[in-house]
Amino acid sequence: MTATDWATAVLLPLGALFALTGTIGMVRFPTLLGRMHASTKPDTVALLLILAGAAFRLPDLRTALPLALVAVFQFMTMPVLAQTLGRVSYTRGMVVAEHLVTDELEDALEKRRAESGRTGTGPGERD
Amino acid sequence: MNAVNGAGMRLLGRLPMVLWLTVMWAVLWGDASPGTLIAGFAVGAGCYVAARLPHLPVRLRFRPLWAVRLAVRILWDLLASSVQMAYFTFDRPHRVRGAIVAVPLRTDSDLLMAMVSGGLSLVTGSQTIELDREGGVIYVHGIPIRGEGDVPRLRRDVRRIEELFVRAFGSTADIADFEATEHAMHAARAAGREER
Repeated sequence: MTATDWATAVLLPLGALFALTGTIGMVRFPTLLGRMHASTKPDTVALLLILAGAAFRLPDLRTALPLALVAVFQFMTMPVLAQTLGRVSYTRGMVVAEHLVTDELEDALEKRRAESGRTGTGPGERD
Repeated sequence: MNAVNGAGMRLLGRLPMVLWLTVMWAVLWGDASPGTLIAGFAVGAGCYVAARLPHLPVRLRFRPLWAVRLAVRILWDLLASSVQMAYFTFDRPHRVRGAIVAVPLRTDSDLLMAMVSGGLSLVTGSQTIELDREGGVIYVHGIPIRGEGDVPRLRRDVRRIEELFVRAFGSTADIADFEATEHAMHAARAAGREER
């Protein structure tokens, strides 16, 4: 086996392992936010490792460039998805208070509600 | 700058985006021959015109040294939090608690705020929940938080990431703004600790 073979032999299974733990985490964590933490980060690492592993199989750097593009798009889209889901889950009241040590967003929304003087109209309203 | 007319400035402002699209095109085709570049430029410009994308006044600078520090920090944190989450996946995940903290941002640039909130979703156990644009406050969910003692650490991490983004990509004015707010906040904290 050559050095590149070894690199692939280490990187691909390691990436697969991260993807597996991310998926198991998604099943095992009780809250939506916990699940998102468990799935987004290990999955990104897994993708990076698998792409790196795959890049070592390619003949030269030029053919490996599109793989870098995949990583770039993952980094650009993943935070948007995580943030959207996080916000929606909060608005829908799916964030369970017992799993939180503090919730300063709730405090801020309460303050905003008190200031506006009426309830049920703010855009950041929690059901 | 005054010598250049409005239309010229608008075209110039859109040029980086079209160049970026051209690079994407060349990468996807896998070669950088002049024909591909010209075709890519035409398609990029065509897409821009067809989609009527607004021109963003991008006033950013790029400081390689800080950008490298930011990239190293993000990659390291990504790896660390992945390992951490993998550990908690197998060690009683139902006992892991998080926290949502409000962190006042020190930058007032739309673009930098967007970058910070995106970047935070990538680093150690944090994820942006909400961004209050007018107040300049970002709400971040962090995990794992073992108790009240971990909350300041999460807050400090968020502020550190913000600083790295501002220093890596902010214009000179952004950085001056950032430092002024930083000083003001520091003074306010020292003056009235009992307030919060």
